[in-house]
Amino acid sequence: MANKKLVRQDRQITVERAQRIGNQMLVYAVLIALLAFSLGPLVLAWFTAFKTGEEILFNPFGPPIPPHLDNLREAWTVGRFSLYFKNSVIISIADVMAVLVISSLAGYALGRLRFPGERVVLFIFLIGLTIPVTAILIPLYLTMRDFRLLDTYGSVIVAHVALASPIFIFIMRAFFKELPSELDDAARIDGASEFGVFWHVMLPLAKPGLLTVALMEFLWSWNDLLLPLVFLTSDNLRTLPVGMLFYQGRFSINYGLMSAGVIILSMPVIILFLIFQRNFVQGLTGGSLKG
Amino acid sequence: MRIPKQETRLSNQSSPADKFLSPRARRKLKSYSVSYLFVLPALLLYLTFVLRPTVQVFVLSLYEWNGISAVREWVGLANFRKLLSDRIFWQAFQHNLVWMVVIIFFNVLVGLIAAALLSTRIKGRIIFRLGYFLPVVQASIVTAMIWRWIYNPDGLLNAGLRAIGLGGLARGWLGDFTFALPALAVAAGWAGFGLSVVIFLAGMQGVDQTLYEAARIDGANSRQTFIHITIPSLRNVITIVVLLEMIGAFQTFDLIWATTQGGPVRATEMLATYMFKRGIQANEYGYGSAIAVVLCGIILLFSIVYVTLRERGRD
Repeated sequence: MANKKLVRQDRQITVERAQRIGNQMLVYAVLIALLAFSLGPLVLAWFTAFKTGEEILFNPFGPPIPPHLDNLREAWTVGRFSLYFKNSVIISIADVMAVLVISSLAGYALGRLRFPGERVVLFIFLIGLTIPVTAILIPLYLTMRDFRLLDTYGSVIVAHVALASPIFIFIMRAFFKELPSELDDAARIDGASEFGVFWHVMLPLAKPGLLTVALMEFLWSWNDLLLPLVFLTSDNLRTLPVGMLFYQGRFSINYGLMSAGVIILSMPVIILFLIFQRNFVQGLTGGSLKG
Repeated sequence: MRIPKQETRLSNQSSPADKFLSPRARRKLKSYSVSYLFVLPALLLYLTFVLRPTVQVFVLSLYEWNGISAVREWVGLANFRKLLSDRIFWQAFQHNLVWMVVIIFFNVLVGLIAAALLSTRIKGRIIFRLGYFLPVVQASIVTAMIWRWIYNPDGLLNAGLRAIGLGGLARGWLGDFTFALPALAVAAGWAGFGLSVVIFLAGMQGVDQTLYEAARIDGANSRQTFIHITIPSLRNVITIVVLLEMIGAFQTFDLIWATTQGGPVRATEMLATYMFKRGIQANEYGYGSAIAVVLCGIILLFSIVYVTLRERGRD
């Protein structure tokens, strides 16, 4: 009797175990399928960049063995990607610098200093969080025309910085607010000027916030298609995404060159992402969850 | 450089006031002026290049203007009346709605399941998270190119279909009236999937673990705990992600512009692409602005709900 019961229990345990393992395998199957969906297209595009035209046609899914650099070389020289790359770097770096200065100054004032009208200013910036760029594109274009900024780097830089400023001001404000108040009080008692307190005491403490802001702005400005497309008309000023858009029209059948363009455009972002993963995830999700 | 100079000028100016103001008030005034100087650059840029255009788009929508002639003709609400009977406008609006539904199904429902599976004790969680997130940092033009290549008549999807004997289904996906829109929405889902997974994962970390333990003791299986514990606990996060996707769906421009430009015929026309065509390309600034006002109104509505919920969630 007792023996039989034990056997039954044993069998039940094995059944449960098998079920658990089965479940586990199902979980992995779903997760791996989704991973293939997420990474597959990217990996195939990276592979393709290193293939010859013949390989692309007859072996579209396999890895490029041996890898050919002809596509990359051709995109860089004939496809003028070196020029587009330079334009993208200029605009993105200028964007990041300007956003850092502007959002840390305003974020500091709104987070730590008291002044009349503070709430009004805060509310005005809050409105900005809800204004989509597509909705104001037409008057923004006319504004750039009135300022004679069209077809200059300045138009894109100014628009990027202005549009991004509300969210980054709120991020920096939240950051400065969290810092302990003893620090700036002590510096003030020691006779430091307001700017001195900001520059020497508070700003160094806000470095993690600045890093997040810099990375987010770089990501957005590097990847942006719409504003450089509308504001920059001459080929010499085109950024990588815009260059690629026109390039795509001209060489739509040449998958090798298109994929080379994908690599040139996305490598800087992917490298930064792999180094600063935590900041990227925090910045992108924090912007939506915590503000 | 500029700031000390401003300060000296301010102190010079305030010298007649010295007689009337106590030292404390003077100090206060000085610190206020510093605050204003700090806010000024951001405020000036923002007012000129964001807030003023926002007001302008409403004003422009009441005019008929080609952007070049000196005279703008006041037409009142005529542009909006014209919109109401514009078939393309309504088509575009419907497309935005379809887009929204596909993306919400994909990123919220599938994203939630993926996050729930990832939050169990499994190996390689970092790799999955990283892999799902990588498309999120890609430029929209990269998404467009990759998926155009997948959907082309001689592209990867058809090659794959032929390889498994389903060659009969092969077609030029983006040239197809029925499939172009959902096909592009899937591409957009691909680009946004990882972000919602990561947001859900962050939300799940905040769920009270004792709830799960109690449920397990009561004999609940993992599907039951998912439906009765995970989803109700994440109510706020789910609402936020849904609203974000709704906002995103109505802003969609890049992906369409870099692939079909609204075609074939009008099959993938969106409010933003239609606004772009009429307002920027055809120089109908008034009519284009009217479309933009509608777009702005829809997004503003979602955004206000979103900001309110988020503020409430923070308390």
